[in-house]
Parts: sequence; structure tokens; C-alpha cells
Amino acid sequence: MIDTKPTPGEVASETSNPVIPASVSPTPTPRWHQRINGTDGLRLLRVAVLLGLAGVVVVPIVATIVMGSRADFAVLLTDPAVYDATRNSLVSSAVSALAATALGVGFAVVFERFRFSGQNLLRWFLLIPFLIPPFIGAMSWMALLGVNGPANQLLSQLGIDHTFSIFGGTGVIFLLTIHSYPIAYLVISAAIRQVPGNLEEAARMSGASNWTVLRTVTLPLIRPGMTAAFMLTFVSSLSDFGIPALIGLPERYTTLTTLVYRQLSSPSSSNPLPEVSAISMVLMAVALVALLAQRGRAQSTQIIASASTRHYQTGVLGFVAMVLTWLWVIVVSILPLLALASQALLPAPGVPLTLENITLDNIITAVTSPTAVTGIQNSVMLAAGAAVITAILGLGVALLLARSNHPVNPSIDVVANLPQALPGLVIAVGWLLVAPALGIFNTPVVILVAYVMAFLALVVQQLRGPLASVSATLEEAATISGASRLRAIIGVTGRIVAPVVVTGAVMVFLTAVRELTISILLVAPGSQTLGVAIFNLQQAGNYNAASALALIVAIVGIAGLSITAAVTSKRQGK
Amino acid sequence: MKRFTKAALPFALVAALALAGCSTDTSDTAKAEGSSDELSGTITLYTSEPQEKIDEIIADFTSEHPEVTVETFRAGTGELTARIATEQETGELQADVLLAADVPTFEAYVEDDVLAPLEVDNAAELEDTYVDPEGYWVGTRVIPTVLAYNTNIMDTPPESWQEMTDEEYEGQISMPNPDVSGAAAFNAAVWLDDEKLGEPWLEDLLANNPTILESNGPVGQAVADGTTGVGVVVDYLARELNEQGSPIDLVYPSDGAPYVSQPAGIFSDAENPEVANAFIDYLISEEGQTTAVEQSYLPVRSDVGVPEGAPSMDELELLDPDLDHIADIQSESVDHFNSLLD
Repeated sequence: MIDTKPTPGEVASETSNPVIPASVSPTPTPRWHQRINGTDGLRLLRVAVLLGLAGVVVVPIVATIVMGSRADFAVLLTDPAVYDATRNSLVSSAVSALAATALGVGFAVVFERFRFSGQNLLRWFLLIPFLIPPFIGAMSWMALLGVNGPANQLLSQLGIDHTFSIFGGTGVIFLLTIHSYPIAYLVISAAIRQVPGNLEEAARMSGASNWTVLRTVTLPLIRPGMTAAFMLTFVSSLSDFGIPALIGLPERYTTLTTLVYRQLSSPSSSNPLPEVSAISMVLMAVALVALLAQRGRAQSTQIIASASTRHYQTGVLGFVAMVLTWLWVIVVSILPLLALASQALLPAPGVPLTLENITLDNIITAVTSPTAVTGIQNSVMLAAGAAVITAILGLGVALLLARSNHPVNPSIDVVANLPQALPGLVIAVGWLLVAPALGIFNTPVVILVAYVMAFLALVVQQLRGPLASVSATLEEAATISGASRLRAIIGVTGRIVAPVVVTGAVMVFLTAVRELTISILLVAPGSQTLGVAIFNLQQAGNYNAASALALIVAIVGIAGLSITAAVTSKRQGK
Repeated sequence: MKRFTKAALPFALVAALALAGCSTDTSDTAKAEGSSDELSGTITLYTSEPQEKIDEIIADFTSEHPEVTVETFRAGTGELTARIATEQETGELQADVLLAADVPTFEAYVEDDVLAPLEVDNAAELEDTYVDPEGYWVGTRVIPTVLAYNTNIMDTPPESWQEMTDEEYEGQISMPNPDVSGAAAFNAAVWLDDEKLGEPWLEDLLANNPTILESNGPVGQAVADGTTGVGVVVDYLARELNEQGSPIDLVYPSDGAPYVSQPAGIFSDAENPEVANAFIDYLISEEGQTTAVEQSYLPVRSDVGVPEGAPSMDELELLDPDLDHIADIQSESVDHFNSLLD
């Protein structure tokens, strides 16, 4: 946003030299703004967007703060359960974010500095944990590392007297790492691509070894990317519910998200809302600090934006890197899914995996049982609704940000993007507080609006780049031909960026359709979503049926997101 | 030809109208006839029944009453009571029918005056212990908690609660969390109240370091897949897993099994009490109880047999404490149980 703003120097030169027509510049110029602010062709849009954002984002946050400040903080801070959960949340998120960042650096170096065959396929396998919901990942690992699961059976056949268990704090940290390293990898490999190749080349020519180049040139230059990756994965691990619920709770390892879930769903606590809101406020604060830290860092990194020549290395080192990466994806991406699949294909626990024991019954029940059908219907409807609403609201937000320079813009920017940094739990609690007053408590509508709040930023961020690159002169031409400003924007720019809006909406759909954290806290009779249905089956101990449904979700999710990504990158390639 | 058409047109129209009239007439009378004894409308059921079981029961019920819709919300008893409390506080109660847990939970609701008296004909067919003398709830199946064991791991299974405190079972036991499972909460109170078992026994049992799993379902899983050798779990789950081929079997403990009767009741502000009563009446009807037996439950009626492999009802050694007293001590018993774990 900042670079589209005219600098004070430009303003001065223009006022002193009014002969230059404003329309020459592709970005809005002050004269434009004077005109907009005078008659303001965007006022209607701006009012609608502000109202939408206030309703969907601001109200639940304010409600949380109001209710949270009612809590007895003295009691809360001395409650050992809260203390333990806070410590567990911070430790598990920090450690897993560190590990994920380290893995991200490693894989970014492998993929950006070595060339070997099958790289694209390998990269896709590497990203699989990112494409399946964490709670389904947790279920897969439970299947793989069960006390009598395939991994431990192999160990005992090899004569190794050690039983792996996935449950407990270590398991939570491990799984959070598995599900966040792909994000870290994506962020860091983007950063590594910005490193000027000639710097590395110069170091190498001066006699530095590959290792020295990596350590003294590459890594220092991508440090901001590493910080960003750490913050992103830290916040996403902090907000995860599925992994600590399935992996942590059986060993009484509680995090803030599972603590809140417990308090909302256990009969012993008297009105849990003030305390839950207070916990929610704490999470909000942590997420905000992380967001601000990351933004500050991101701005200071822009100096590295020069072209890079990719430097490839082959030979033994490249081969070793390739083999290690393949081993990694086999263990982390493939084996757990195979374990999930085998659980889905067996009729009951403890039945050995043999050809004659395999049955499709679970899979058939999974797609035909009333629970699954209702869950699929609800999730598809809610996700589709969220996709449409976020697409419209997101387009409005992005248009205002790209095409006007109103003083309220920075606030719109922050408010629209803020929820993405907030844990799903915070969003759910906010709506839990607001819903009764709006008369939408215990209805599917409350899940819908919470989805909109959570995923709005997905659309806004998708649109940011493309909108900035569409020249405003086209719109101006339309305005000169008599179209209103709003109509010009919708008719000209709207049409050009429509495919991007659709991509954004599809991403929202695919994310929302398998959402768990928000759904489980806002679920009501008749509005059980797919994620909740699977989670409940798993919690009720029906692992085989749960696995069958989860397997379908995992496969559909991997396919859907891969296709969307392929389409997007193809379009960007053009 | 043309003339004929013209002339025929009014007749055709009249005939069509008459036909149309007839058809609406017949459908109206059908409806009118139906509405005298045919139920219609929607009820919302809160239950801790396993999802696939309740789905089947509702499908059977609604196939008899096609105009009826039963919305279900399934969760552990703990979550259900928490949800009911929240709904009573913040808005309106969604639930019309509650089918869950144990008598003490229902007695608490009776005391709060939130249940409506039932009007179910089949209650007369049940044994007295399963029917509330005041008429607010009726038991729907007998669910004893038993000892389940993995047949690959245990050569000689434990036969009694007393045996479970033996050292050989240390680290081998799994049991459900009384915060989540209504049956587990009830059991904690019954054990602590029992003369022969009581607090010393519970202390010894928990000293054997049992794995506390969320609910009965995961306990059954853990025993079936061999994670733990023995599990404290409701009988029907172990029976079902055994039927499906898991290496699991069950023992009704010789010193008596605590049991819950999964009562059903109707909230007093239920919008459709007629349908709600019909649903509960169906649950305890001969047909409903036959389904229960097919679903591996011990029935509350004596005329429907028992599930295959289950002992007959009069052979069962059940613990029958004073339920009013259990209701009084249940929540402190759960706290006591949890404090022994820390």
C-alpha cells in the first residue's frame, strides 16, 4: 500500500506544475483524490464496507474485551489450570515454530540451491501436511503410532524393546511442527529467491566454501523471512485445537484452546464466559504482538528486492539432499495417510490387516450415514455462503484500499486483515458472546459469520497484488465516458480481477469446509459440520468410521487445494 | 374437426376442473383422516447415545411417523448438561427430549422443575426400578459397567472389582473420564458409596495408574487394539467390538456391576410434547426394545430377550444403591475421583 501513495515531493511538484495531467500516472494522484473526496463516487461502497467490517469483525472483538474485563483476573492468574495451559500453549507453539522454521530453511535451501529430477513432485509431497486439516493429521498419526499400531509392531519385530507413543506434550509439539513447517518453507523459499545470486557468487569466488556462503551470506539475508516464518507458525500453532485435543488431552496436557473447550463443555464450571473471554483476550494480545513484530520486520526487509540468479549445485550433496527429503516425505506425508487408510478399511480395532479382513463398509457408511450426510450438507452450505460473502466484502475492501486514499483506509486495512492473526478460538468466543443478543445463538448463521470473519483476509490478500497492477486509467476512461466512479470500477477493474476473486472464494470454501475449531465451539443442534462430525466420531471411540470420513476429507482437500494452486500459478505465469 | 374441438373445449375444461377438484378433495380428506392419529412436527433430542445407534432408532421411529422430524444433538453427558445450563441462562432451551446418563442427573432436573410429566403407555410394561414413581423419567436400556479384556494379552481376566487392585494390572487398565462420561461419574459415586469397595478400594485402583480416556468409546478401542489389557467400560461396547471381530471379551464383575438406565425425559417448555411422548413411548415399546437388544443393549422389558452372549437379566449381579443418595454425592464423588488422580 505504502508505495502507491504519492510522496510529499510529488504533491509539491504537481501543485507547482498543474499542466501535467493527473491521468498520466497509473496510481491515483492527489487531484483525483480531491475529486473523490468532493463528490466521492465511492462513498456508498465505503459506507457498506465499513458497516460490514464493523458487524463482522469489530463487534465480536469488542464484546470479548468487554466481557473479558469482567473476569476476576486475580483468580484467573493464580488458577493453576490456567497457568499450566498458558505455559503449555506458549512452549508448544514456540518450540514447534522454531523447529518448523529450521525445517523450512533446510527445505528451502534444498529446493532453491539444488537441482534434481522429480523436484516438483517432491515439493508437492512436502506440502501435503499443509493441505490436510491438523486434526486429521493427528488422527493419522494416532493410527500410525498406536501402541499396537504398524510402527510399534515393526519395532517389536525388529527386536527393539521400545514403544513409541504420540500422546502428550512431545507428541503435540511434534505434530504442530509437522503441520506448520510447510508454511515456514513457503515463506523462507520466497525470501531465498530474493537473495541476489551475485553476492553468493562473489563470496564463492573469494574462496568461500558452500557452507561458508550459506552461513555468512544467504542465511543473514533471509533472516527477516525466518522471523516472519517463525511468527506465522507460532500464531497458527497457538490457535490450533485439533492436535492438542486429540494428542494432548489423553495425557492431561492442556493448552489454552483445549482449556476453553473444556470449560465451555463441562458441567462443573458456573458461567464460564467471563473467564473464557479473558483467556481469549490473552490469546488476542499474543497474536497481535506477533503480527506487529512480523509487520515491522517485513517492512525493514524491502531492501533485498533485487533480481536473483539461481545457483544450482548438483553432485553427491544434491543426491544426498534429495534422498533425505524423500525419506522425510515418506515418513511425514505418506505413512500417516496410509495408516489412516488402513484404519478406514478395517472393520474393528485389533483386527489384523490382511486382504480378507479389508472392507469398504466404513467408507460406505461414512458417506451414507445421516450424520455424515448432514455434516457434509452443513459444511458445504456454510463454506459456500462464507465464500460468497467474503468474496463480495473482500472485493469491496480491496477496491477501496487500491483505488482511494481516504483517511479511513488504514483502519479498513487493519480491521480486514486482523482476524487472520486471531486464533479461531478467539473468533468463536467473540461470536458466542454476541450471538444471543442478535438472536442467532444456536443457529448455523453464527458459524457462517464467524467463518466470514476468519477467512475474509484470504480474499483481500489475494486481490492486493492484481488490483495494484490494473491501471486506473481504464477506470478513468470509463468515468470520462459518463460512468459513475463506482460503476467504472466494477465494470472495468472488477471484470479484470474477477478470476482472482473466484480463486479467493474457492480458497475460502476449501478452508471453511473442513474447519473444526470455530465449528466445535459454535455448533448447535442441526448445524454439526463435517469437521465436528469426524471429531465427535473420533472422541466417541469409533476410530474406524472416523478414519473413513477423515480419509475422504483429506483426499478431497489435497486434490482441491492442489488444483486451485495449479490454476493460480498458471494464471500468474501468464 | 375444428368445430368439434371448439365445442369440446368447455367440456374438457370442466372435466379437468372436476378432476383437479377430486384430487385435491381426496388429498384433503387423507390429511384430515391422518391428522387425527398421525403425528407431525419437529422435536430436538439431546442424547449421549452413540451416533449410529440413535440414527437407526430415529430412522425406525420416523418411518412409522413420516411427518415427524427428530433433530439430534449428540455429545457426552457432561457436555449435554453444560449446554443445557448455558441455553437456560442465555436463551431458550433447544432440547425437547433428553436421553442420556443416569437417574441422578434426571432427579436434579426434576428438582429444578424443568421436566414435564411423561404420558407414555408402555411405562406400565417395565420393571418398577426403571420408572420414576413421580412419572418424570423412564429408563430405556440397562447399561452395566463391566471389565473388558484383550484376549491376546490377558490369559486369565480379572473377575471382580476387588481383583483390579492387584499389582499385575498396574499400567494395564483404561477407564473413562467422569468429567465427560455420565456413566463414569455415576460409577464413581456408586463405588465410593459401596460398603465393600468404597474409598480404600478406589485409592488402590487408581494407584494402579489407569489411563483415563475421554469416554467409554476410546476405552473400548484401547482394549480392543491392545493399548491396555483391561478396561472399565460399558458392556454393550465390548460386546459389539467382540462381534465385529476385535480380540476383546467381557466379564460381569462378581462383586456387582454399577449400571445406568439411560433415562428419557421431556423438558417442560417442549413445543411438541405429543411427539416427544410418542418418541419416548417408542423407545420402551416392544419394537423399540427389540432394536435396543439388536444394538447390543440389555433391555428394560422382559419380553424381548437379551443380546447374544449376554447373561439373562436375573442372572446379572447388579449394584442397586439408593439413587437419591447417589444423586446427593455424585458431584463430590467426581471431585474426589479427580483429586485421587493428581
